[in-house]
Amino acid sequence: MDFKTFSFVILAVILAPFAGGLLAGIDRRLTAWFQGRSGPPILQPFYDVIKLLGKDRQVVNYWQIFCVHIYLISSVLCVALFAMQADLLMIFFVMTIGAVFMVVGAMAVPSPYSQLGAQRELIQMLTYEPLLIIVFVGIYLVTGSFKIDDILSYERPIFLMLPLLYLVLTFALTIKLRKSPFDISTSHHAHQEVVRGVLTEYSGPYLAILEIAHWYEIVLILAICGLFWSTSWIGLVLLLALTYMAEIVIDNVTPRMTWKWMLTYVWAVGISLSFFNMALLYANSF
Amino acid sequence: MLAPQMLGISIILPFIAAALCLINVPTLRSALVIGTGVVVSLASLLLVQSGTFSLTPESILGINPDGLIAVLDFALLFVILGIAYRLKNKLIAGLTLLQIVPLAVLELFMNPGENMGPALYVDQFSMIMCMVISIVGSLICLYGLPYMREHEHHLKLEKSKQGRFFFFMVLFLGAMNGLVFSNNLLWLYFFWEVTTLCSFMLIKHDGTEIAVKNATRALWMNMLGGVAFVFALIIFRSQGLPLSLQEIITAESASKLALLPVGLLCFAGFTKAAQMPFQSWLCGAMVAPTPISALLHSSTMVKAGVYLVIRLAPAFAGTLFSNYVALFGAFTFLAAAVLALSQSNGKKILAYSTISNLGMIVACAGINTPAAISAAVLLIVFHAISKALMFLCVGSIEQKIGSRDIEDMRGLVDIMPRTTMMAALGMVTLFLPPFGALLSKWMAVEASAHLPLVVIMLALGSALTMVFWGRWLGMIMTSVVPDKVLPTERMPLFFSVPLWTLAVSAVVISFTAPGLYTSMVLPVLERFYSADLYTAARGVISNNIGMFAIYPVFVVMALGVIYAVRASSAKRFFRRGDYVTPYVCGLQDPADPRRLGFKGPLGVWSEFKTTNYYMENIIGESRITGWINLIAIGILIILLAGVF
Repeated sequence: MDFKTFSFVILAVILAPFAGGLLAGIDRRLTAWFQGRSGPPILQPFYDVIKLLGKDRQVVNYWQIFCVHIYLISSVLCVALFAMQADLLMIFFVMTIGAVFMVVGAMAVPSPYSQLGAQRELIQMLTYEPLLIIVFVGIYLVTGSFKIDDILSYERPIFLMLPLLYLVLTFALTIKLRKSPFDISTSHHAHQEVVRGVLTEYSGPYLAILEIAHWYEIVLILAICGLFWSTSWIGLVLLLALTYMAEIVIDNVTPRMTWKWMLTYVWAVGISLSFFNMALLYANSF
Repeated sequence: MLAPQMLGISIILPFIAAALCLINVPTLRSALVIGTGVVVSLASLLLVQSGTFSLTPESILGINPDGLIAVLDFALLFVILGIAYRLKNKLIAGLTLLQIVPLAVLELFMNPGENMGPALYVDQFSMIMCMVISIVGSLICLYGLPYMREHEHHLKLEKSKQGRFFFFMVLFLGAMNGLVFSNNLLWLYFFWEVTTLCSFMLIKHDGTEIAVKNATRALWMNMLGGVAFVFALIIFRSQGLPLSLQEIITAESASKLALLPVGLLCFAGFTKAAQMPFQSWLCGAMVAPTPISALLHSSTMVKAGVYLVIRLAPAFAGTLFSNYVALFGAFTFLAAAVLALSQSNGKKILAYSTISNLGMIVACAGINTPAAISAAVLLIVFHAISKALMFLCVGSIEQKIGSRDIEDMRGLVDIMPRTTMMAALGMVTLFLPPFGALLSKWMAVEASAHLPLVVIMLALGSALTMVFWGRWLGMIMTSVVPDKVLPTERMPLFFSVPLWTLAVSAVVISFTAPGLYTSMVLPVLERFYSADLYTAARGVISNNIGMFAIYPVFVVMALGVIYAVRASSAKRFFRRGDYVTPYVCGLQDPADPRRLGFKGPLGVWSEFKTTNYYMENIIGESRITGWINLIAIGILIILLAGVF
């Protein structure tokens, strides 16, 4: 690893949580604006996390705490690997470590809310994981590689070749962002039937760690979205801004659905869209 | 070098030791099992030091080996015929006759020894297999010693059946070693049938009605494979090809080779590897005592099936048949993962996960690129180690808590903390990076990327795998606020030695995967493929389309785990008084907040229970197995039609 890559990795690892937190702040402001409220300051997520970090520890068992840390480490590692321009599929599998351990942490506590939340979180992962793999395969079919450095050196925006797969990717993004209609295992609003679901048993500094890890993950998924228009900065920013705006709108206009609906709908639509897009690619290659 | 001697030891010693095990004396038996295990393991390790070589033994104890094998072949088939008679099973009798008659024709009229190359052939692939069989298999036999004592104590048997038990267990290891080193297809066929017979005898070991029924099913399904095997041999001979495995897969004869006999051999491999629609025999094998399941699932039997398919892969590279094999394997991978999701029976989950992994291996053989074949070979190794570990853990758990239902394993960490940790490690090494099984999955997905249908099935199956392991991992870790004393657990020596060895090697061998690849997998691949090979440099495995940074991920995650262990020190939480009870809306029992439940309306105490989603009404075993078998049979027919 040369010095340039190394500094790039360090920079990404330091800046990613700030970007993630800032995004969460903007998200809350925009959502408030949509709903006719004024909303919190943009830096509010940071204030929240700092306050959480200073609170007393409350622990049900040591396992959940172990799991939180593994979640954080794997999220940071994913962002670092992305900055190293490693293999997309490998990054995805490393991301799975964190996702699984978050569920294990929630299941390690015999509280009904956290248990139910964990089960739902598993279903959410079941929903988005195959789609992400298929998206990466689509990227491979266009660029001929799973390695990010090769993908970046592809001369055209891959969005033009994979518009439908980009749509599939946004399904995964919505689930990862915990936005309606897919905020099933836990939501940003604590007044649902499973309290805060998978996050119920976390409080204080450990909730703060979860939040920071979540920011890393969001940055990672958005970075993957960014790969779809990596040829120009304007295109990239525009694509990401439009995508995120669409996420907020969808979050505001849809209700929370059940896991059965999510699984069947997202798989059916996602896999069909993928097939269409792959057929399109094959048609193009003739 | 001593290589030929080591080869002889690894095949013949288990046969001799097995026969001695029949003298039903406990101390002798323990000595034999331990001794054979140690010697065979060392022999397999010494064998690795040598390069590729081939060997034709002149005589075994003064007898012409080819003649000996031929006699033993018929003896074995007549034993099975006798079993069929005792079971009054016409199907098995018919399938046996369908092997005896063609085999007689082959031996008498078709000059099977013509142009025969060496009888035994040793290369890195068979060395890997030998290590897996000898080391993992021996550890399982070792574990069997205390397990079977406890098992028979529990069943209150008057006369111990352990002599017979270890006879077949140890014999199995010898037969498997013989199988992977055989180049003469007649020898391979003999060892193939020995494993069939051994697995039948082992599955019916407990002698219960269900055991006999399931053993019978295992027998006829495997005999079906045996019939395909014999007919493949006949077709080879009628085309004038020598019955030599290496001869068949090398490029010169591949051109004039019809695919039909290769397809039949693959079919035999599918039956042995319990691919859909033959999965039911392996699931039925779960009635046997745990060491048997562990042996069948991890290092022997099913691995023989996938071994043969991978060996044959170069013979059908680039054909339509190959693509169908990929599709067939991928379907098994997906369908078995779906079935595993619907199970709460721990051993059934392990069984379906095995079938699923075997499906992936078969799919890799069908994808038939160097990346895919690397994935297949590595997966055999890593799956064997981790799956053996899982079976042995579940066996111990079952003997302790009296249940194999994963719902009953909630909070296991409080009862058996060590075994729970081992089981957790076993699961993590089976489905999470940076461990070997996941490395193989990564290779498989990247290799299949140009086959859309296959890759979508692999993607779906992979997500399902993550769900059923993830929730099991979470359940065994469930615990409430512990008391002041942290729980401890005592393990018998012969439980802890195999468990520790497997657990440590699951991690260590994953870490050394780049080295393993370069030294053991690459030489095999280089014989058949010239382009797109993975290279392993500085802990990073890469080819032209992808790279997996094993060392960096390993190091970061290892540091992370150390940090996380320190940050979650149970003792420190005690000291600081950080422990609280789970959140139940503040409705817990004020007298005993640790008691799980709610104070409901009118102060009535109500307990709660959480279970996993098994979705039995949608994907239950009885509901979808029929459909899955139907689809699998369909793919199998198309596949076999693809040879023409």
